[in-house]
Amino acid sequence: MKETKIGDFEETMLLIVGILGKEAYAFKIAEEFEAQTQRSVSIGAVHSTLSRLQDKGFLKSEMGGATAERGGRRKRIFMITAEGHRVLKTSRDFKISLWNQFPAFAEGKLHFLLP
Amino acid sequence: MKQMPPKSAERLLLFFLKEDLVEEVLGDLDEKFFDLLQKKSLKKAKLNYWYQVINYLRPFAFKYFRLNSILGTMIKHNFLISYRMLLKNKMFSAINIGGLAMGMTVTILIALWIRDERSFNKNHEHYDRIVQVLRKDRFDGQTYVNSSMVSKLGIYLEETYPTVFENVATTFYRNQQQFLKVGDRSLERLGYFFSRDAAHLLSLEMVAGRRFNDMQRDAILLSRSLARTLFVGENPVGKNVRFNNSRDLIVSGVYEDLPKNSTFSEMEFIVPIELVYNEDNPATWYNQNTKVYALLNEGVRIMEANNIIKDALSDNIPNEQRITDLLLLPMKDWHLNSTFDDGVRVTSNRVQFIRIYAAIGVFVLILAFINFINLNTARYNNRVKEIGIRKSIGSIRSQLILQFLSESALYSFTSFLISLTISASCLDWFNELSGKDISMPWTYPIFWAVALIFILFSTIVAGAYPAIFLSSFNPIIALKGSIKQGVLSTRFRQGLVVFQFTISIALIIGTITVYNQLQHAKSRPVGYDQSNLITLRGKSEAFFENYDVLRDELKKSGAVVEVASANYPLTNDLGNNDGFALQRTNEVYPITFNTILVTPEYGKATGWEIIAGKDFSRDRVETQNIIISESAAEMMGLKNPLGEVLVPSYNYLGRKRAFTIIGVVKDMIKNSPFARRPKPLMVFANQEALGFVFIRLNPSMDYLRSLPIIEETFNKVLPGYPFNYEFMDDAYQLKFKAEERIGSLATIFSVFAIFISCLGLFGLSAFVVEQRTKEIGIRKVLGASVSNLWNLLSKDFSVLVLIACVIAMPLAAYFLNSWLNTYEYRVAISWWTYILAGLACLLITLATVSIHSLKSSLSNPVEALRSE
Repeated sequence: MKETKIGDFEETMLLIVGILGKEAYAFKIAEEFEAQTQRSVSIGAVHSTLSRLQDKGFLKSEMGGATAERGGRRKRIFMITAEGHRVLKTSRDFKISLWNQFPAFAEGKLHFLLP
Repeated sequence: MKQMPPKSAERLLLFFLKEDLVEEVLGDLDEKFFDLLQKKSLKKAKLNYWYQVINYLRPFAFKYFRLNSILGTMIKHNFLISYRMLLKNKMFSAINIGGLAMGMTVTILIALWIRDERSFNKNHEHYDRIVQVLRKDRFDGQTYVNSSMVSKLGIYLEETYPTVFENVATTFYRNQQQFLKVGDRSLERLGYFFSRDAAHLLSLEMVAGRRFNDMQRDAILLSRSLARTLFVGENPVGKNVRFNNSRDLIVSGVYEDLPKNSTFSEMEFIVPIELVYNEDNPATWYNQNTKVYALLNEGVRIMEANNIIKDALSDNIPNEQRITDLLLLPMKDWHLNSTFDDGVRVTSNRVQFIRIYAAIGVFVLILAFINFINLNTARYNNRVKEIGIRKSIGSIRSQLILQFLSESALYSFTSFLISLTISASCLDWFNELSGKDISMPWTYPIFWAVALIFILFSTIVAGAYPAIFLSSFNPIIALKGSIKQGVLSTRFRQGLVVFQFTISIALIIGTITVYNQLQHAKSRPVGYDQSNLITLRGKSEAFFENYDVLRDELKKSGAVVEVASANYPLTNDLGNNDGFALQRTNEVYPITFNTILVTPEYGKATGWEIIAGKDFSRDRVETQNIIISESAAEMMGLKNPLGEVLVPSYNYLGRKRAFTIIGVVKDMIKNSPFARRPKPLMVFANQEALGFVFIRLNPSMDYLRSLPIIEETFNKVLPGYPFNYEFMDDAYQLKFKAEERIGSLATIFSVFAIFISCLGLFGLSAFVVEQRTKEIGIRKVLGASVSNLWNLLSKDFSVLVLIACVIAMPLAAYFLNSWLNTYEYRVAISWWTYILAGLACLLITLATVSIHSLKSSLSNPVEALRSE
C-alpha cells in the first residue's frame, strides 16, 4: 500500500514547492526553507524528501533549463500533483479542526476560515 | 587559487551517486557553491560543498552497488545463511555472541582507561613547554631524585634565567585544606598557594574576572564549581572571601574547573604564595617545602635548559657530602614517567598497570575468540552435508571461506554492538571504580575507525581457522555423512581450552595475591593507636589563643582522654630537615630527617610506643629535648641514643642550639605503608598550640555520644568554628586507594575471564554429550551407574584444567613476583594461593561440565536410543 500521510517537514517542502512554482528545484527550495525558517538544511536532505514525496505521488518532476552558474547543467523542476494538493488541504483542515476544538482559542477569540 | 568546487569532494559524490541524479545534483551544488563564494569566502564555500556532498549519503541517492554483481548477491546470500544458522542454534549463538561481547566490553573499557591515562595534562595549552624542577642528590654513592625545593629557588630561577624561562611558579609541597568563609557560608577546601604566574602557566580559562593582578596580594582565584558553591547565584568577582578566619581576600577571577586527568585537578582555588613568603617572612635557601614548575620560553629545548640551570642549587647552598643537580621534567612525563631509582628513570607503577591491564584486555579477548573457534570447529558435523553439497555443485574453496568469514563478521558485528551498549551503560560504575571521568568518545571519527578495524580484526582472528578447517572437507566423503575428525584438530581444541584455563587460573592467583598484599600492608603495625583517634585542623587566631581552654574543657567533659597538636598530620612525612651533627664527633649526618613539632601530650594522644627513655611532659622544660624513632637511631648508628646530643648546622627553630635525645619511639607509618621503612623521625616539643589537632576519645564511651559533646565544647569555646573532624583510621585507609582499585579491577577482570572460559566449556561439553547420546544410552542399558557416566564425561575436561594449573603456576609466580618487587613492604606468595586457585578452577569446571553430563546420565536411556 502506498503511504498517504505526510510529515511536518514534508508538508513544508510541498508548500515551498508550491510557492516557488517554476523555480522549484532542490537548491532553490533549500534556500527558501532557510530564508523562511532561519534553520539550516542541506540540499541532500531536501532532495531526499522531494524524492520521497515523488514516490508517494504528491510531486512530479521534469528536467528544466540550464543556466551558466550551474556549469550548463539542467535542473529538475518539481511540481505539486493533484494528489499533493489534496493531501495539503486534508492536513490543513485537520489542524484547523483541532484548533477550533481547543477551548482557549475556539470561543470566538480566533477565527479560522474554512474553505 | 582556482575558484572551483573541491575536486576530491566531487569525485566522492560521483562515486556513490546514482547516474540519473548526477546532472541535477552537480548543478545544484555548483549553484550553492558560487552563491556562497560570492556572499562569504572560498574557504566557507569549499567547506560547505563537502558538507553538502556528505549529506547526499542517503539511501535514495545511492547507486546500486551490490545487487548488480554476482559477488554482491553472494555476500547477501552468505549473510542470509549466517543469520539462519544463528537462529537455528540459539544456545550456541548466544554463547558465541555473549562471550565475544563480554570480551569486547572488557577490551573497550580497558582501552578507554588507557587512553585516559595517556591523555593526562593534555588540556594545558602550554603542555609542550611546561616542566617541573626536580633535584638529583648524590651522596653515599646513592642518587635520590626529589621534587621538594627550597622556597627561594623559584624566585631565583625566574630572576636569573629570563632567557630560559617565561615563567617560574612556586607552590607549597603539599597544599592543605583551608577555611573559606563568605557571609555565613563556611567551607574547608583544598587550595594552592601559587605564584601568580601559575594562572598563565596552566593556561587557566577564565570564565569571569581575570587572572591575578600584579599589584594585589590579597587576591584569590576560584574554580567555577567552588565559586558556585560559595556565591550561590551571585557574581563573585570583586567580592570578599574570609581566608582561614584571619584575612579577607578579593576574588579576582573564576576559572573553568580543571579536568580530572590534570595533575592539578584537585586544586579548587589559588591564592598568591606571597601570602606566605613576603618581606616579613622571606623565602629561604634551606626550608624544603615547595614545588617548582616552569614554563620554558618558546624554542628553548629542555636539554639545553637543563644544562644551563643544572647547578643553580649547588651554587647557592654548597654542601660537601652531597652533590645536587637540578633536573627538568617535561609535563608529558609527569603522570606516567616520573619514577626514579638511583637517579635513573625506571618503569613507573602506572606504566606497569597500563601494561598489566592491556595484557588482561588482550587475553580476555583471546579467550572469547577461542570460544568461537572451538565451538565452530567442534560442531563441524552440522555443516558437513551443507559443505558437501556446495562443493559438488561448484563452490570453490575461497567462496566457502568467504561464507564462513561472513558468518564470523556477523557475530563480531553483533557482539560489538552489544558490547558498546554494555560499555556505555556501565561507564559510570567503571568511572567510580577506577576514579576516572571517562566518557564514550562517540563523536571522535578515530574511535569509529578503530572500531571498524577492531571488528575486522576479530572477524579474521576468530573466523580464519574455522573457515579454513570447514572448507577443507573432501566433498565425496562429506556427502557420505560422516567424517572422522583428525586427532590434530581435537588436540588443537584441547590446547586452546588449556590456554583459556591457564589464563583464568593465573588471574585467580593474581587476584588473591593482590588481596593478600593489601591485607599485609593494612595489618602492618603503624606505631600508634588509630582507633578512637580523631584529627582536625587548627586555624584562625581565636583557635590558637583559646587552645588551652579548649583542651581543658574537652578533658573535663569526659568524652576526651587527651588533646595534642603538631605542625604536621599523622598521614604524611612532610617537614624535612638535614644538617644535624652529633656533638661528640661533630660529624654531620648525611640524613634528611622528618622533623615535626608537637605539644608535650602528643605521645599520649596518638598512643605512640616508647621503647626507650621517656615521653615529653608539660611539667618540664622540653625545648632542648627531642624524641627520635628507632629507624633514626639505627641510621645514625647509635646503639644507645639516650642522652646523645645533636646540633643542627644552621639555625633551627630560630635559634642555633643543641638537642638531647630523651626517648626513642617505634617507627610510625606516616607516609606510604608499602615503603620498606619510614623516614627517620625527629620530634621536637612545643608548648604552644600547632595546626594539626589530635583528640583521643574516651574508649569507654560510644563515639556517637562523645562526638556531640566535643562539638558542643567547640561551639562553647570557639563560637562559629567549623568542627570538621576526620577519624584517623579512615584517613589512613585512603593510602590504600590505588591498591584497592587494582584489587577490585583485577577481581572483575578475572571473573570475566573465568566466565568466558566456562561459557566456552559449557558449549563444548554440551556438544560432546550430544555426540555421545547413543553411547550413554547403551552404557546405561548395560548397567552403568550415574556416577560412572558422570565420571566418564567429566574426566576429559578435568585433565585439561589440571594441565592448565601446571602451566599457570610458574607463569603467575614469575609475573606476580615482578609486581610485588615494586613494593618494598610486600607479602610472600604462599603455596596455598596456588592450590586454592587450582581447586577453584577445577570446581567451576566440574560444575559447568556436570550440567550436561548429569542431565545426560540421568535421562531415560530409551529416549537416548530412540534419537535420530
